[in-house]
Amino acid sequence: MAIYQDSIRVQDCFGTLHKRAGPSPPAVSFPVGRAAYSLGLTASNGVERQGLPERGNQGQRRQRRAVEPRTERMTVDQDWTAVYPTAASFKPNSVPLPVRMGYPVKRGVPPAKKGNLELIKIPNFLHLTPEAIKKHCEALKPFCTEWPAALDSDAKCEEHFPIQVESKAYVSAGPSLRNPNARIITLTVKLSSLNLDEHARKKLIRLSGERYNKDTDTLTITTDSCPMKQQNYDYAMYLLTVLYHESWKTEAWEKEKTRADMEEYVWEDSPSQKNILETLLRMRPLGEKEEEGEVREELLGRVEVQEYKDSVTKLKNEGETETNMQQYKEAVKKLLNI
Amino acid sequence: LIFVSFQTVCRQLNSTLWLNVGGRSIHSSAVCCKNRAARIRVGKGDRPVTYEQALHPHQIAHRKGWLSQHTSNLQGEDGAADRTVEDLFIRRLIYGTFHGCLADELVIKRRGNLLVICALMLQKLPPHKYYFLVGYTEELLSHFYKCPVKMEIQMLEEKSVYKYL
Repeated sequence: MAIYQDSIRVQDCFGTLHKRAGPSPPAVSFPVGRAAYSLGLTASNGVERQGLPERGNQGQRRQRRAVEPRTERMTVDQDWTAVYPTAASFKPNSVPLPVRMGYPVKRGVPPAKKGNLELIKIPNFLHLTPEAIKKHCEALKPFCTEWPAALDSDAKCEEHFPIQVESKAYVSAGPSLRNPNARIITLTVKLSSLNLDEHARKKLIRLSGERYNKDTDTLTITTDSCPMKQQNYDYAMYLLTVLYHESWKTEAWEKEKTRADMEEYVWEDSPSQKNILETLLRMRPLGEKEEEGEVREELLGRVEVQEYKDSVTKLKNEGETETNMQQYKEAVKKLLNI
Repeated sequence: LIFVSFQTVCRQLNSTLWLNVGGRSIHSSAVCCKNRAARIRVGKGDRPVTYEQALHPHQIAHRKGWLSQHTSNLQGEDGAADRTVEDLFIRRLIYGTFHGCLADELVIKRRGNLLVICALMLQKLPPHKYYFLVGYTEELLSHFYKCPVKMEIQMLEEKSVYKYL
């Protein structure tokens, strides 16, 4: 069986025979066949060895009579899911639509569906008609269970299932199923749903560092250090457990927490408190000798001092806003009787 | 002593000969800026070409689709080179197995693990030979690539001509 031949006899459409010398062209540009002649590149044995130019009979014997396409015998109300039960490429003899696809030749129309490679190239959804999807749903129903009726709102879901674990599965085209990114696990939990007191909460926030989001009060733990998803999930749960238990413990060195370490401003024992007490003491009329301790208690108990304390705490914790500054101004005016 | 010196002299002679004979220097010619990839140039108007051959590669994504579809060329996906090499191998294998029977380029689709090869064929062989060759390629390729391989072929009486160049 000769694969390549140096000279090929081609009968072109104008009816003249000419010999094209040189090696046969590469890839797909075959010399075109019409019914009346045959090529040197046929797979059958013995024909080319004769070397005769007229081999029309042999060519015609190999032609099969074209059977009418299936589309002719399709009724309008047929079951389309039987024609395209699964994803398959476009078959022009099975799709009874006069589809045309391609860029038209000048003063012509797009090429017809028969032998149209463009229609085969594109992915089609002929196997996913609404009928077909209904059938799929019916087939899947026996495997489904009802959603629990008690969980009818997001709040309830969060209340009963505070820890949310996210993982991604990847599907791609290729011989291998494995994707290393599928091992990553993200665990999110709201701190309000955990049983923490003030100290434990502050310590947990400090331990988690960047993983805590103040605005949404969520702790997010992402693990990808283990090779398997199950291992990463176990590690994330372990981290959460460790954080929780450690935050409840109080270490010996925690007593050395200074004012600079505090997360938020506390008015008691602050320079502001000292200053205001001194000012108020000085404002008292002279001559009244009372106990320091009692004076302090009395002063601190006054409403104006409480207001001043609130406004200063707000200013320091939340920053300077219009309302905060107004509040501070009012409090100071009241205190100093301006 | 004489033996050693003779050998060294021979070696030196050999080396000098090697340096002189077949002097390889760089030749350069003027650059031809024409692009000749996958193009059939316009000729007398007697050469029939298919849609695939008539549209040049810069028309891909404008007037032509892609002959091979897989997810590896998406952002963040691996395996593009492996899929390309597989495609090339498959095209050559089928060009040789169905020699003279192919009407147009192969279309290779991958649906997950499954490799689907869509081919347009001419009626060159009796049907039982086609069945055998299809089964043979499917079996062979599935053993090579360790994934299910399906061939979907469509028969044509003759190649569909788009225009004459």
